[in-house]
Amino acid sequence: MTSALYLHVPFCARKCAYCDFASWATPAGDALMGAYERALEAQLDEIASLGLLEGCETAYVGGGTPTLLGEKCLGSLVEKVMAVARPSELTCEANPDSLSDAVLLAVREAGATRLSVGVQSLDDGELCELGRLHDAACARERVQAAVASGLDVSIDLMCATPGQTPESWKRSLACAVALDVGHVSVYPLQIEEGTPLDRRYADDPCAWNDPEVQAERMTEAQAALETHGYSRYEVASYARPGKACRHNKVYWTGSPYLGLGTAASSMLDLEGYLRLLSVCPQLPAAPSDARRVRLTVETPRHELAEGPRLSALSFSLEFLTGAQAVAEDLMLGARLVEGLRSELVARARELFGARFDDTVDALLARGLLAEKDGRLAPTEQGWLLGNELYGALWDLAPGEVVTARC
Amino acid sequence: MSTTDTSHIRNFSIVAHIDHGKSTISDRILELTHTVEERDMEAQLLDTMDIERERGITIKSNAVRVTYDADDGETYQFNLIDTPGHVDFTYEVSRSLAACEGAVLVVDATQGVEAQTVSNASLAMNANLDIVPAINKIDLPSAEPDRVKEEIEEDLAIPADDAVCVSGKTGEGIHDLLEAIVMLVSPPKGDAAAPLKALILDSYFDEYRGVVATVRVFDGRIRKGDQLRMMQAGEGFLVDGVGVKRPAEQLVDELGVGEVGFVVTGLKNPEAVRVGDTLTGADRPCAEALPGYREAKPMVYTGIFPIDNKDYENLRDALEKLRVNDPSLTWSPETSVALGFGFRVGFLGLLHMEVVKERLEREFALSLIATSPSVDYHVYKTDGEMIEVRSPQDLPDVTRIERIEEPYLKAKVIVPPEYTGAVMQLAIEHRGITQDMVYLSEKSVEMHFDIPLAELILDFFDQLKSRTKGYASLDYEFSDYRASDLVKLDILLSGDEVDALSFIVHRDKAYSMARGLCDKLKEIIPRQQFEVPIQGAIGNKIIARSTVKAVRKDVLAKCYGGDISRKRKLLEKQKEGKKRMKQIGSVEVPQEAFLAVLKVDDQ
Repeated sequence: MTSALYLHVPFCARKCAYCDFASWATPAGDALMGAYERALEAQLDEIASLGLLEGCETAYVGGGTPTLLGEKCLGSLVEKVMAVARPSELTCEANPDSLSDAVLLAVREAGATRLSVGVQSLDDGELCELGRLHDAACARERVQAAVASGLDVSIDLMCATPGQTPESWKRSLACAVALDVGHVSVYPLQIEEGTPLDRRYADDPCAWNDPEVQAERMTEAQAALETHGYSRYEVASYARPGKACRHNKVYWTGSPYLGLGTAASSMLDLEGYLRLLSVCPQLPAAPSDARRVRLTVETPRHELAEGPRLSALSFSLEFLTGAQAVAEDLMLGARLVEGLRSELVARARELFGARFDDTVDALLARGLLAEKDGRLAPTEQGWLLGNELYGALWDLAPGEVVTARC
Repeated sequence: MSTTDTSHIRNFSIVAHIDHGKSTISDRILELTHTVEERDMEAQLLDTMDIERERGITIKSNAVRVTYDADDGETYQFNLIDTPGHVDFTYEVSRSLAACEGAVLVVDATQGVEAQTVSNASLAMNANLDIVPAINKIDLPSAEPDRVKEEIEEDLAIPADDAVCVSGKTGEGIHDLLEAIVMLVSPPKGDAAAPLKALILDSYFDEYRGVVATVRVFDGRIRKGDQLRMMQAGEGFLVDGVGVKRPAEQLVDELGVGEVGFVVTGLKNPEAVRVGDTLTGADRPCAEALPGYREAKPMVYTGIFPIDNKDYENLRDALEKLRVNDPSLTWSPETSVALGFGFRVGFLGLLHMEVVKERLEREFALSLIATSPSVDYHVYKTDGEMIEVRSPQDLPDVTRIERIEEPYLKAKVIVPPEYTGAVMQLAIEHRGITQDMVYLSEKSVEMHFDIPLAELILDFFDQLKSRTKGYASLDYEFSDYRASDLVKLDILLSGDEVDALSFIVHRDKAYSMARGLCDKLKEIIPRQQFEVPIQGAIGNKIIARSTVKAVRKDVLAKCYGGDISRKRKLLEKQKEGKKRMKQIGSVEVPQEAFLAVLKVDDQ
């Protein structure tokens, strides 16, 4: 029914300066977190009883900072996920400062297979500017511990951040490679509206975040990582052989996934949606031409912690037609190094006719797409100018996406 | 409501230099006569267009009937016609004056007589109107009513002993002004028994009622059900209703001699009703039409193109509807390689252009591109033929041009003496030739110079204001055509000439304009996937260049927890931004690029 399960933990010890994501600063040990976790467990039972987790292959506990839940709470959540979904890949997100040995041990014992550590930088000055709670030494030491625990480890790195120089970026990359993890995500900092970073640099041209700088950093990262045996499989993700994140790929390949927790996103096919509808009478009926439904949980964390049943959750929804879903798959597929699957291309050609070929021809002419091993895949330019590429493919979608709230 | 005896009717306009306070005085009159109750009062009540309220200017004349109980115990019918103050709309003023017997000449007590005061006063005097001078803003500490009275007498030769001192802001003196209108403005004359003779002052199109015309009756009367005819256009119609604005529309039984009001024609063709035409009875026409108006001649021409070519027909319909109450609007089809099908539209001036473009976009929901303004050039070809060129694209090849003549203006600037140097310098920079300078008083000098219209329409007015700290005022009229060394400056984007960006400029200025424009375009055109070279050229010779650098990266890489909706929305937002741009070849060009020439500081 769904290929993947996502659980959102919207708690952090402190908000980072750049973050506009659904997460709130919460003191360690706050009873709210325990209640929230128990509520998620109850919802997992409900979802499982619907059969929605049949065929689920991967799971991801993300945040926020899941490790802030502490060993008991997080261990219990991971155990529950294993019990109801039995995924063969289970990733837990972690921040170095809350990734204690006890938490590490607990998640491993509970069944997690992967740990994704928010390192962001290995330069103390940059970490401080970003408002991170850990320093470079802490990050290195915790990642080493995670690797030693036998889990597959991934680290996140952020470029084009305040104070970053070409040299400091090179050093961060070199240090990261030396940690010998299986997976690295690299992405440029986005200055989001309303964040402390945005306010701090309101009157500054932010030369350090210039698109030119972002391009140089991303290109530098690609070179450094590829020399050390990591290959890019998605615009922001690099992995050693066999270490690509399967959960991540579900997002880009149009397979259904289910998300629980405040602000968590799901993507369901019509069959999955109907099944969810059977226990959630608050959900609107899907329009007759809808083939794909995207849902986001809108219930605030405090309410969620009170343990509502699925039928008491609020959602925002989007209903996509078959043609819109295909355009979306094209847009998402263009993020992958393997490019667009041939079945998808055939389906798109069938649906969009000459418009599809015109769009592809224009993208080939602009050098954003190229034919690789018989598949259409992004070029170097296509990586850097992703929004142009994705935008052109999404443009194929006819009509407006129908939205709803409940 | 029956017709008022003509001895109790006063028809008058309020004329003034821009910003001297016509609209606030009108507002106070409406308030004092209880035409509008205080609680319903909003500023600039007669300026009904959004653009007028936002910009604080009057663009269209507006006629309102006011009932005034005078000190002599009698009740008078006032027809008040608010008129524009900007030089572009002088034409509107002369139209309104034709319907009046009097004019209230408003002069700012702190600024004194200014250029538009002079020209509006002379329009009123030429129309033989009784003039009631009013000195406004006397509540301000810097008001100098005595000095201003002197100026009115000296500069305008209008007796100012009885000038009424008023404050549109506080309402002080408004009562005296109303009394002065009763005393000084003549009542209308006319023959109620004679065949109908009425002047069409204005008209607008109403979806439900067809064309509605504002008229002033000179002889006879108009009633619902009358069969009328327009003398010039020839078309006839059955009157569907008559009424007056107070300022809300109110139907009346009839409009009699001397009265001003509106007539519902029911005509669905906006073209049929021409402002300035004479309305008469179909069965019993008057012998002779009223003089009508001198046709307003467009001074400036720009290309107006829909961003989306599908809107071409809509644009034409919109222009036709606007012409109903703006007869000065003229256009002809124009085709641009870069912009597709559009129109070359003639305007009275740049403010008029801005206003029309804004009205088209707002009232008809169109997205438009306006191209660089041009004047009407007379091009004499080597074969002896003279052609009028209003668009740079229509300029023949240089080898076939014998000479080009351009329109010159007689410009009049009134300024305090300390700024005469600055104004002369500005005139020189704009190829102006100073003719003479007259001291109007110790504090104001009137300067006359001849200047090419093309120079005046660029940034002359803004420059004049900034270099004289806002003290100078400007008025101008057409003078003659003179030969000039003019060249066509082309702009190339990525090596391809973009016809819509070309413009005609004096050879001496071509280099600095080309450089300025290339730099300006570099600021306006966003970075694109490829580097975009911008070049300025005369013929095949490149005389200026700049480059928009390529964007190296544009991707939001991180995707949190499968939140695809958020990513898609960002892409859609990006697409919205692009809709406002015009794709020219491989380059996306924002709307404002086509008017960049107006923003170039060529100094």
